[in-house]
Amino acid sequence: MIRALYSAASGMSAQETNVENIANNLANASTVGYKSRRAQFEDLMYQSVVQPGASSGQQTVMPTGLQLGLGTRTASNELIFSQGAFSETDNPFDIVIQGNGFFQVQQASGTLAYTRAGQFHLDKSGNVCTLDGDPLVPQITIPPDGQHVTIATDGTVSYTLPNQTATQQAGQIQLASFQNPAGLNSIGQNLFTPTDASGEPTVGSPGGAEGMGSLMQGYVEQSNVSIVNEFINLIQAQRGYEANSKVVTAADQMYQTVNQLTR
Amino acid sequence: MDPMIAIAASGLRARMESLDLLANNIANVSTGGYKADREFYSLYLGSEAQEGDASNTMPVIERQWTDLSQGLVHATGNPLDLALAGSGFFTVQGPNGPLYTRNGNFHLASDGRLTAPDGYPAQTVSGTALTLSASQPVEILGDGTVRQGGATLGQIALADFTDPAALVKQGSNYFVADPAASTAVPAGTSVQQGQLEDSNAGAAEGAVRLVAVMRQFEMMQKAVLMGDEMNKQAIEQVAKV
Repeated sequence: MIRALYSAASGMSAQETNVENIANNLANASTVGYKSRRAQFEDLMYQSVVQPGASSGQQTVMPTGLQLGLGTRTASNELIFSQGAFSETDNPFDIVIQGNGFFQVQQASGTLAYTRAGQFHLDKSGNVCTLDGDPLVPQITIPPDGQHVTIATDGTVSYTLPNQTATQQAGQIQLASFQNPAGLNSIGQNLFTPTDASGEPTVGSPGGAEGMGSLMQGYVEQSNVSIVNEFINLIQAQRGYEANSKVVTAADQMYQTVNQLTR
Repeated sequence: MDPMIAIAASGLRARMESLDLLANNIANVSTGGYKADREFYSLYLGSEAQEGDASNTMPVIERQWTDLSQGLVHATGNPLDLALAGSGFFTVQGPNGPLYTRNGNFHLASDGRLTAPDGYPAQTVSGTALTLSASQPVEILGDGTVRQGGATLGQIALADFTDPAALVKQGSNYFVADPAASTAVPAGTSVQQGQLEDSNAGAAEGAVRLVAVMRQFEMMQKAVLMGDEMNKQAIEQVAKV
């Protein structure tokens, strides 16, 4: 009885986590470069009531035992790195990565972080930086009178100066990739930091042999959240929660029945 | 003890264990690759029953059996999500020998090995570790052969068990079994890339079973009360002079 109550409670808390995860995905359905997360569940330990192989008579043994499961737990909510849809913006500093790479940016603390959100701007000294002002690594600087900024598919940034026909090169954007991107740590602001699970980043040029993917200027990568899928998951999570709460009610009623056995 | 009350009490106890099994199934409706447990009743014969009176039998849950039927398969688009269509299990290297699972939610470890969510590496047919590169697309064929960049890297080991009773649940979606009892998977089983198998325990089905268990429980309670009432009548009325 108590087992049933606790199993149901573990199911309810797992579905709660599921809904929390879905809510965050839906909230970020319009966040550029956002990668959805998916909750994964595992069954908990099993309690052996009858041990397999126990004697059921003098000559016979039980072929299998009675194992009662003790519920579920949330194992992980892993990042899904599928490519989001591209939308055209015509902003020269909006860049998408067609592949597995990440842009490298330097946070205020000096450590590197990685992002798929290629919405860049210029800061007051002409450095290409993110919406939060974190500069791109390696640093790319466009002088104040630089015009017609072009970012090639291999990351080469070039611009023209007034009254000059020759283009000037500002540098080449480098991308990083991870052996296991699903193991990255989300730190907010669309940024990720590496962990032991993700492995150390490999840095390379866009469109190169490392498979980082090539760049495309004037587009942004939309969130990869599928609203339809999230709603389906939400319905399932809600029904699952409801079914678990029914188990709590049933266990309670059965307990009540037992208490009424003696009058 | 009065046999009627004893039998009904044994039924009460068995339904409580049924509820425990059911609660675990319902708690795991969102656990990928979970296989539902079902109860298996057997009759415990009292000594009188063995001498011919078959009414004196007590139902007990002797063991549970695991319903290994296929769960629904849904597309995820993640190339390392694998579902098995048909019977069989993926084999992973656990700390104490092989573990078997239907949850094909594989990942790449930081060293490029293909692992289960808990970090146990996927076992291959040849026994060598399967190391993939994250930057190239992975192709996994129906028989578990992993190909990347036109080269075959290895084949994920699949196993099947003719006697489902040989499988013992270990938690975390794993089954333990004697590897010697495993057989090759049947020809119809195929690995489906980019898909995951859902739990085969459904919330709606669980709710229906829940009603059944509760009503049976109430019936047993009525039987206990009735037996009690009859005893009371016998004591009070029959003994009246």
